[in-house]
Order: sequence, then C-alpha cells, then structure tokens
Amino acid sequence: MSQAPNQADAGARISPGGSAGPALRKMNIARVAESFALLAATIALAAVFGILMPHSFLSWANVSTMLGSQAVLVVLSLALIIPLTAGDFDLSIASMLTLSSMLIAVLNAQLGWSIYAAMAVAIVTGAVVGVINAGFILYFRIPSLIVTLGTGTFISGVVLWISGANTISGIDDGLVSWVVVRHIFGIPLAFYYALLLCVAIWYFLGYTTAGRRLLFVGRNREVSRLSGIRVDRVRFLCLIASGVISSATGILYAGTIGAADPNSGTTFLLPAFAAAFLGATSITPGRFNAWGTLIAVYFLVIGITGLTMLGIQTFVQNLFYGGALVLAVALSQLVRKREPQDFT
Amino acid sequence: MRKFAVGSVAVFGSLLVALAGSQAKAATPDLAQAQAVINAHSQIPDFVPPGPPFDARKCMAGKSLLSIPTSSSIPFVDGIENSMGSVAKQVGFKFQQWKNQGQPTQWVQGMAFGIDNKFTGIDLMGGIIPNALAPQVAAANKAGVKVFATHYSDTTQPADPAVAVTLRIPFHEVGEIIADWITLKTGGHANVLIVGSSDILPSKPYADMLGATLDKVCGPGCKHRYVTVTVPTWSTKIQTTVQGALIADPTINYIVPLYDSMSQFVIPALTLTGHRKNVKIATFNGTPFIIDMVRRGDVEMDIGESLGWIARSILDGEMRNMCGLPSIGETLYVPLYIFDKDNAKDAGIPADFDRGYGDKHVAGYAKLWGMQ
Repeated sequence: MSQAPNQADAGARISPGGSAGPALRKMNIARVAESFALLAATIALAAVFGILMPHSFLSWANVSTMLGSQAVLVVLSLALIIPLTAGDFDLSIASMLTLSSMLIAVLNAQLGWSIYAAMAVAIVTGAVVGVINAGFILYFRIPSLIVTLGTGTFISGVVLWISGANTISGIDDGLVSWVVVRHIFGIPLAFYYALLLCVAIWYFLGYTTAGRRLLFVGRNREVSRLSGIRVDRVRFLCLIASGVISSATGILYAGTIGAADPNSGTTFLLPAFAAAFLGATSITPGRFNAWGTLIAVYFLVIGITGLTMLGIQTFVQNLFYGGALVLAVALSQLVRKREPQDFT
Repeated sequence: MRKFAVGSVAVFGSLLVALAGSQAKAATPDLAQAQAVINAHSQIPDFVPPGPPFDARKCMAGKSLLSIPTSSSIPFVDGIENSMGSVAKQVGFKFQQWKNQGQPTQWVQGMAFGIDNKFTGIDLMGGIIPNALAPQVAAANKAGVKVFATHYSDTTQPADPAVAVTLRIPFHEVGEIIADWITLKTGGHANVLIVGSSDILPSKPYADMLGATLDKVCGPGCKHRYVTVTVPTWSTKIQTTVQGALIADPTINYIVPLYDSMSQFVIPALTLTGHRKNVKIATFNGTPFIIDMVRRGDVEMDIGESLGWIARSILDGEMRNMCGLPSIGETLYVPLYIFDKDNAKDAGIPADFDRGYGDKHVAGYAKLWGMQ
C-alpha cells in the first residue's frame, strides 16, 4: 500500500530557497485541519442530532449506550487495520468473530466448560485461523483477498455446523458482567477494553521498532526487503494478530448479548471496512491508524443512532455506511495525491 | 407335534402380518378431513372477540411502547410495525419504532433507549429471541420496564419466563393446512420436498407437523423429505438444493418453501430442470409479490396472515398487560387464510400486504377497545 508522504517530506518539497515559511505554516494548518476534520464532523453530527432531539440524543444514558454497545465494532475495526497497514486484506474477521462467539456459547452454555477455558479456545482458534490465512497467502502467493474470502466462507460453514444454525443463549453471567453490566463513569467496560486496544495499537505502530517495520512493509515491500526487514514474517504476524483480535471481538460480542447466533456477526464486515478507511483520513491522514479508526466508528455510530432515533427508514443506514466508505476512500486518495494503492 | 404347532403359529403369524401390511397399503387418504380443514381456511375470516372489552384510550393514557423489530428491512415485519404505529395513534398513546437492520448490537441500543427513556413497555417483535438479549431484558425488568416478545415462535415452543407477555403464532397449524392441501390436490399421491431454515426458531415444529400430517392424512401414498437452507444463503443455496433434489428424484411433485419469500429461488430451479408444469409450490406468509405469483400461476397457494390483524392482536395483548388486565392467552389471534388462483386478485393488483382478508378485524378491535 502506498502511503502519503510524511510532514517532513512535504515540508522539504515546498521549501526551496528558504522562502517556504508562510507556505509551510499554511501547509501545516491545512494538515492539522485535515487531521481533525473527521473529529469535527463527528462533533457537528452529534450537535445536529442533539438539536433535533435534545432530551434523548444528548442524554448521558444514550452516549453511554452508544459507546458501550458499539465497542465490538471498534475492536473489530482495529483488528482489521493491522493487516491493512501491512497491505493485506482480511475478509475473514467477521466470520472469525462469529466463530469465536459461537465457540464460547457451545463450549460454555451447552457443554458446561468454564468461561475461561472457552475463551482460551476461542483465542487459540483465532491464532490458528491467522496461521492458515498467512500460510496460503505467503507460501502459495495467493492474494489475501481471495484467501480470506475463502477462509471466511469456510468458517461460516463451521459456525453453522457447530451451532446447528441455532442461536445459543445462556452464556456465563460472569462474562456478561465484565463486558456490559459493570460500568465506569456510567459507560460499560466493553468501551474501555476497546480504548485500551486503541492505545496499544497506537503505541505499537508509532513508538516501537516492530511497529515502524510494519509501516515500512505496508509502504513498499520490496524496499523493506532490501532494507533487511523480514517482510513475510511481518505479514505473517499481522494476520495472526487480526485473527486473535477478531476472536477477542467475538468474546466481547458474546458478552454484550449473552448469546451467540450464527449469522449476525458477519454484518459487521462492511462497517469495519468503512471505519478503517474512514479512519485513514483522520489524525494521521493517508495511513490506517487507531485513533482515526475509533473516531470513524463513532462517526458512523452517531449517524446511525441518530437516524434510528428519528425513525428514518433503514435504507438510509445503508446509504450512510456505503456513502461514508466510498467518500472516505476518495478523500484518502486525494490525501495520497491519487497514488495507486497496492493491496495483495 | 410340537414342531407342527410351532409351524402353524408361524404360518398364522405370517398371514396376520401380511394381512396387516396389505391393510396399511390399502389405507386411503383422509380426503374428507383434508377438505374440511381447507374449507375452514378458505373463508374470509370473521372476527370473534378474543377477550373481554376494555377502554383502551382511558387505560393507555400516559403509557408508551417502544417496538424493536427483528429487522426493519424485512417488508413483512416493517408492515406490522407501521400498522401498529397507526393503530397506536388511533388509540392515543405514544408508540415508537426502533428501526434497525437486524444487528443484535442495534437491538441492545434499542433496549437501552427504551429503559433510559422510561417507556412503559418494550416489544421484541418478529423474531428476536428474548434469551438472546438476556442481560438487556434483565436490566429492563430491573428498571420496571415491561418486555414483550411477539410473533417469534410456535405455540408449541416454551414461552420465555423473563418477558411479561409472549404472543406466538401457531406455525404448526400452517404445516397442517399445507399438508391437507397437498393431500387433497394429489388425491394422496404426493412426493414433497420441504425447504426450511433451521435458523428460524419455529421452523422445526412447523416442518415436523407438516410431515406428521402428511403421514397421517395422506397416508402411505405420500412421502416427504426436509432440507434446510439458512437465511443468509437463501439467494445462493435454495436454487441449487432444489435442482439437486429434483434431478435425484424426478417424482417430486410438490415443493413447500416454509416461508414464501423462498419461492422466488425455487421457481428458477423448476424452470432449469424442466419441472415448471408438473411440480407445484405451496407456502406460507402472504407476502405480496408471492401472492402476485399465485395470481400468475407460478405458485399454487400461499397461506397469508393479515398484517393489520397481527398488529391489533399484538397491541391487544400488550395493552391488556400494561393496563393491568388479565392475560387472554399466549397465542396471537390471527386467522390463517389461503390464497390460490381464484382469490389472489382480492389482495390487489399488484397485491398489498393487508388486502384480501376482509376488514372485520378493524371494527371488531375498535369495538373491543371501546372506541366505537
């Protein structure tokens, strides 16, 4: 994937002859505005709905519900940006989420396993799926789009098989309690888990050697390889990370509703992609980033919740998700000076 | 002598078994019973008050209801919701829909919205299993908000104890009616492929009763087979599944998609395998575009439920509960009405969700609620 030039590069290009002071300042202001445009749009959207429904939309209870109930989407989107940063698609994340929640339901609610053992199995399964994805992508050199589309479909079949295509309820109250029942400042713990993951990924990508290597690999694999970075190893670990985090999302999902159903998890795929690409236009424009993704999720959530509370027809939700995705990618491309993207 | 006695008993026993076998094979389908059932469901339904009258306007004053449908994208479900909204307006209480696209996290948000905004009741409508939102239902109960679950399961399936009112549909009766229809139309010589979705809760009792009624009423001249295709794969799997079944067994002469929207994927399979003329489709729901297919002859029959009737029956049960009146049962009062080529046009051209069932329920419920 090609990335936008960083600020130093941009500044160097526009400062010949030392007369770039005002131009550089103008450029920096433009970049700051660009970085926080989505955040401003999110606040503006909330303000519009707040004006339309001051008592219900702006209530702390509604804010808390939006933050808590959509933490699942935040974590899944964060799982997605890791392979995207390395230049790989992972279309199996939503199926992995569903498999993870269903494994917990089957093992814990039906077979009587402890919730901890069920969660461990779910996480290990996510890692195994990541290894399988990486194996096909890296060993056989098959595009990630094709491999993860296939494994995602395969996993959906496994979910239907182990669940008998039924919704399974009765998951341990302990998990439910640690996900949505317990609150800090009135917000369910699920939100704080998502926030912690966001901080961890932000720190990893921005302040660790391994994270910088990942960014280099995403920017140009060949140059990275010639620089001594073990490109395949980085991509391998990214795909495992997305599998494991998708599994963790499944655990959150099971804890949010106290049950697992074989189909609904897959509906998170488009919103997760929309959030990842929309997030790439924010905070660090032109690059998939954790904070941008978090803001993007809540931009989408505020939009959908507001439309729902207004009783607007559901097709508008599709217009909003789909429109936001296309618009986000278009904006992202403008930031990149319309450079072609290289996902494999 | 002893050998002779044993031999005689064996021969006698064999004769009895053979006689019994010939009796079973000779058993004829019970066409009279089948005809009686079909007749009962071919009349424009009459309204019989399902319970004692009450003053709905008076007792619902100041009360409010939030309805969370399984997915507002399903026209059938959205039609019921809209009908509930207009009836609530006539009665004069606050009614709000939580429009969603079928994501459980959206239902979670809806539950929280209902609790935070102190609605009197929250209705989980059209397929949401209360147990699949157990933490949120518990929170609502704790906050004093009544939770209702409607039109999501068969009457033979257990009600969820966590909800204040459960109102179910007799899906198994639908299975019985379709089996009787097939028996009557084939004279007891049917080979039926039932196409269901095991991820829809009432599918099992519905398909079980269909099979059992075929065994009982149609008799040995009929056979049936059940295949399941999950909802998200209807568009890709139904056609191939039906094609495969027809190629493997060309004697199939009836296909029963348990839910009528499946029929649109069955018809291409019949066309491709050359069975369009000799294989009939019988189904359930009364979705308008399928009733149009009935009118055009692509589908032989469709059992429909009036959306306006469902909406009123749901509100009747929920208002009684919110008003503190005694329950009148856990079954929705919704007549099952057969559309075939003779009466499909009554549903309108093109067909409409709530036409063709008569309008006795409109005046009937208005009178029951003291509004007339």
